[in-house]
Amino acid sequence: MWAIARKEIVSNLLSYKFFIVIILTVILIFTSFFIMYKDFNERLSDYDIIKPTPEEAIAVLAPNPLSIFSKGLDEAMGRSFESTVIGITVRAGQKSGNEVFSFFPTPDFMYIVKVVLSLVALLFGFDQISQEKERGTLRLMLSNPASRAKILIGKWIGNFLSLSIPFLLVVLLGFAFVNLNRDIHFSANQLVRLALILCVTLFYMALFLSLGILISTLTRKAAISVVALLFIWVLMVFVVPNLGNLFARQLVDVPSVAGLSEKRNQIWTREILLATQDRNWSDHYSQINRDHGLLEEDYRNKFNRLVRLSKNINRISPVSSFVYAVTDLAGTGIGEEENLKKAVIGYNNSIFPEISAAVSDREPRQYPAFQYRYRELSEVFAKGTLFDMAWLIFFNILFFALSYVAFIKYDVR
Amino acid sequence: MLKNIIQKEILNNIFSSRFLVTFLLLVIIVLATSVILTNDYVRKQDEFSRRQTELENYLRDYAHFNRIGGIVNPAQPPLAFYSLIRGISLEVNIEKFDNDPLPVMFPLIDLTFIVTILLSLIALLFSYDAICGEKEDGTLKLMLSNRISRAEILLGKTIGGTLTLLIPFAFSLGLSLIVILLNPRVSWRGSDWGALGLIVFAAVLYVTLFYCLGILISSRHRSGSSSIMTSLFIWVLFILVIPSLTPYVASFFSKIPSKIKIDREVSRIYDTERDELGRKLEQERRQEVLKKYPNYEFMLPREERQRRIASDPGFKKAYEEMTKAVQGAWDEANRIQGGKANLILKDQDRKVEQQMKLSIYLSMTSPLSSFTYLATDLSATGMRSLSHFKRIVERWEESFGDYMKKKIAGLREKDPTIDVWNSTVDVSDMPRFQYIDERLLDRFKGVLPFLTALIVFNILFFSAAFFSFIRYDVR
Repeated sequence: MWAIARKEIVSNLLSYKFFIVIILTVILIFTSFFIMYKDFNERLSDYDIIKPTPEEAIAVLAPNPLSIFSKGLDEAMGRSFESTVIGITVRAGQKSGNEVFSFFPTPDFMYIVKVVLSLVALLFGFDQISQEKERGTLRLMLSNPASRAKILIGKWIGNFLSLSIPFLLVVLLGFAFVNLNRDIHFSANQLVRLALILCVTLFYMALFLSLGILISTLTRKAAISVVALLFIWVLMVFVVPNLGNLFARQLVDVPSVAGLSEKRNQIWTREILLATQDRNWSDHYSQINRDHGLLEEDYRNKFNRLVRLSKNINRISPVSSFVYAVTDLAGTGIGEEENLKKAVIGYNNSIFPEISAAVSDREPRQYPAFQYRYRELSEVFAKGTLFDMAWLIFFNILFFALSYVAFIKYDVR
Repeated sequence: MLKNIIQKEILNNIFSSRFLVTFLLLVIIVLATSVILTNDYVRKQDEFSRRQTELENYLRDYAHFNRIGGIVNPAQPPLAFYSLIRGISLEVNIEKFDNDPLPVMFPLIDLTFIVTILLSLIALLFSYDAICGEKEDGTLKLMLSNRISRAEILLGKTIGGTLTLLIPFAFSLGLSLIVILLNPRVSWRGSDWGALGLIVFAAVLYVTLFYCLGILISSRHRSGSSSIMTSLFIWVLFILVIPSLTPYVASFFSKIPSKIKIDREVSRIYDTERDELGRKLEQERRQEVLKKYPNYEFMLPREERQRRIASDPGFKKAYEEMTKAVQGAWDEANRIQGGKANLILKDQDRKVEQQMKLSIYLSMTSPLSSFTYLATDLSATGMRSLSHFKRIVERWEESFGDYMKKKIAGLREKDPTIDVWNSTVDVSDMPRFQYIDERLLDRFKGVLPFLTALIVFNILFFSAAFFSFIRYDVR
């Protein structure tokens, strides 16, 4: 078995495929780390400019260093939320002006792994069996006293090692580069999260390797298996997760965000108008806050139902599980964003009497600073990440078991 | 002879297993997308009309001029093209408290996705072995032993290959159009068809471009298995990497000053400082009027004021002058502070525009971006349509401003003591916002650079393929 693994590694090292793949991985991971690191630095210096003073009732979250690897919703989480009597005024950062950003996905580590490394892993696996058959070496191999299970496992291990070792080296180098900057500190907790992200990444790559091997055991010619696997890859990576979201939207009725903003405007202008008539300002201010809170709660309930449904639909493709797991671990996922919004609303409600009073007597106040604690790892795990990781492992085992079954029945002639 | 090559190429492709797989895949994905997007479009329409009714209800009860601007602010209605192309997702709406993060995590699928990602991949899958595959089979030698030039072979292969790719595309697009147009809620106009025609034409260019690229790569390789690796490598760079990286690169070179800081500053200038200035100016003007009419007392209860205005023409004149002075003070405060805010915003807009331009130019190094911009701009769902929408909103705002002035003058005519800003008014006769599409010709002119880029890529790849093929060793 180890002999086979060694043979695989050696033959990979010498192949054109390996050369291309390594170049691609190195270029992409380094560029991505560099770009996202620069982007993070810019956001950090922007955060220094916009950091609220005690006189300002503003909640701003500092950019999350883990967003270098998985940006997720960090841009949305880093907005400035200013509490006023007529609602929470939101201001978005640098990326919101340039519309070109909204056309294309963020080139972070998560994206590179999600689309490029999955493809790379498939390419490692796709001709494992069918090519050896075409060359005739499969027969020779089986004429030795090696069981088919051992051959398959040996191939898997050999390819997985030749894929993951260069990958891990590149990632560690990139990480060292990011760490050179003194402004970026990773706490112990964040390092643990990073290690977990790497772990999920390895599961994910292993899964696509197994899938590649499975396809190669099902097809007789390498040329056919490459077409088949590329189509399966497109379906899994692009089509299922994205169509799943739209499909879930047809089942759950969620108001559009433009409609919500209109409603918020209608609420506060109505209350202010009534206040100019009966002069009972503070009552109307708190009415605005209450009504906005109700609106938010109603939307949140509906939206959470949509998120749950779309998550479950999307998980048909393990790619979505990977995305959910990585973004949640990095603290840039949907759950974290919801948690932040809750914290912002809590902060708003706690200082609301002060703000309302400050408007009446025109006296500047000192407000407590906004504090946010990211969700604990245990909570992240409980809220789906554990399931997503298990789901990735399940697909791994499934694909490998299927390829074993197919390989046992494989006609080596 | 050229015809024979084309024919052979088409037949060869059609009977291959990859053609069958492609055909099925395209039909399924295109159909599923169009069904789901059409339903979504219909739901958007419903939601939009619900919002309009809510707005009307609000205006009936609470319309007042002081805060009407944000309320009647026009919203973009759902466009008929939404069932094919989504363009920039306005739903992300990151500038408001409520946002919808799902499209950020998983972008939507539409016709642009199908063309840019799927068709380019398919084109490469069909063409990566166009030359080296024939060499491996030994048929290239046979072909060249006939009296046919290499140029003809290359041209025939390109035309034949592209045509075979277009069969499944045209078929699935036709099916999806049937699905879309059978829906009674969707109605397309002439300009929509024109835009679709242009988009399909650009899609053909896009597919040809990738087919030529595949042939180029194929004629630089001796075996299919290494050719596919290079093809995928280049595909990944062109499709997945360059478009995502370039806006970031552009943002490092062409910087925008902190947007949040400027927004805060502008809102401070236009809110707090405006109010302070307004109050100060109001005080001054009031003093002037009071000096002019020292005998009159203006701070009376409303009924008393109304009575005196009716009975005393001198008081009426003085009162009207006072109202005018106060209004003038606030108009001036608005003008001064608005001017200051505008200056800052204009500078910011200029910088944003510079950055956007740079991002667009840089990203045009990938044909995917050119096609994406072209398709979204032509279908009025892209960046162009956002600025067009801003323009027509500005035009409407002007007419609404005139309406408001007239209405306020009318209200004061009726009752000089009225607080025109904070009393409810009947605005059922206000000018309604009408969304008008930008003219197709203007849209077409706007996308010419992108179209040119696609054509240039075509010529570039084809000539490069030609030069490599001439020197190809067929043995």
